[in-house]
Amino acid sequence: MFRKTMLIAAMGAASFGAYAENVPINGEVQSRCVISTDTPGVYGNPNAYTLTTAPADGGVKPIVRFDVTLADAYYATITAPDSFSSSPSLPDVVTWTGDTAVSAVSDAANMGSYETGKIEYGYTDKYDLTATGSTWFTTSSVATMGGSKAFPGGSYTALVVAECIAQ
Amino acid sequence: MKKYIMILMMLFGNAFAHEMTPTYPKLEPAFVSGVYKATMEMFNKRQDVEWYEIGVFDKDFNSIPFVSSFKLLNLNYLGHVKFDIYIRESDKNRATYVCSKSKLRKEDSTKTAVSSRICSKFK
Repeated sequence: MFRKTMLIAAMGAASFGAYAENVPINGEVQSRCVISTDTPGVYGNPNAYTLTTAPADGGVKPIVRFDVTLADAYYATITAPDSFSSSPSLPDVVTWTGDTAVSAVSDAANMGSYETGKIEYGYTDKYDLTATGSTWFTTSSVATMGGSKAFPGGSYTALVVAECIAQ
Repeated sequence: MKKYIMILMMLFGNAFAHEMTPTYPKLEPAFVSGVYKATMEMFNKRQDVEWYEIGVFDKDFNSIPFVSSFKLLNLNYLGHVKFDIYIRESDKNRATYVCSKSKLRKEDSTKTAVSSRICSKFK
C-alpha cells in the first residue's frame, strides 16, 4: 500500500515536472560564393601523342559549379590547364589548347548572357556573376606532344583553376 | 521557389565544395596599436582537399604581408574554421582581397583536377 502511494506520488511529481523546452538552433545566412567540383575531368588518350578531355576520345570534361547568393558581388574566372602539375619526364614540348563555356544555369532569364558576355584572355575566361543562383562551367583541354612523340607511360594531372572573386 | 531550390542545392548538392565568408570583411583595429584585423570563416566540403592556403593581396593581386594563426590551413572534410588575419595599419588601404586557395595532393591517375580559390574583398 505504501509502495503504491509512493509510485503514484512519484508519477504525479514527474508529470508536474515534465514541461516543454524550446531548444534553439541558431544560424546566420551570409552572402557567399561556393565553388563545387561537379565532375572531375579525365584525359582520354586517343593516340600516342594526344591527351584530351573530349568524350569521343575517352575523356571526361571537368564541370565546376558556382553558387552565388548575392547578385553583382562576384566574378568567376576559370583557367584551362597550360601545363601538367604532375607527369613523368616528357621528351618534348607540349602544346595546349583549352576553353571554358557555360554548360547550364539555374536561372536562364537572368544568366542567359553569361557566355556571350565573358571576357577571354589566354586560357582564362572571366564571367560577371550578375544574378543569384548556380552556374555550371565546362572546361575542355587538349595536350599534344611535340614532334608527334608519344607521351611516356605514367600518371598525368593538369589543373583547372576556378576562382570566385568579390567585386 | 527558385530560392528554395537554391537552398536545397546548397545544402545537399555540394559534394566537393569550398566556401569562405564573409564576402566583404571589415578591417577593424586589433588589440595591438598599428595593427588591423578581420575575421574569416571557412567550410570545407571538398573530400579531395585537406589543405587551404590563405593570402592577402592588393588590387593587382600582389601579395601583402599578414599574420594569421595558419597560412596553410588543415581543414578536414566537413570541417569548419574561424580565423583572424592581422595586417599593418600602413597596408590597410592597399589590402583589397583575402583569398583561400585549395592545395591538391599528387595522385596516381591521368586527369584534370580543379583548384579552387575564393577571394573576399575588404570594405
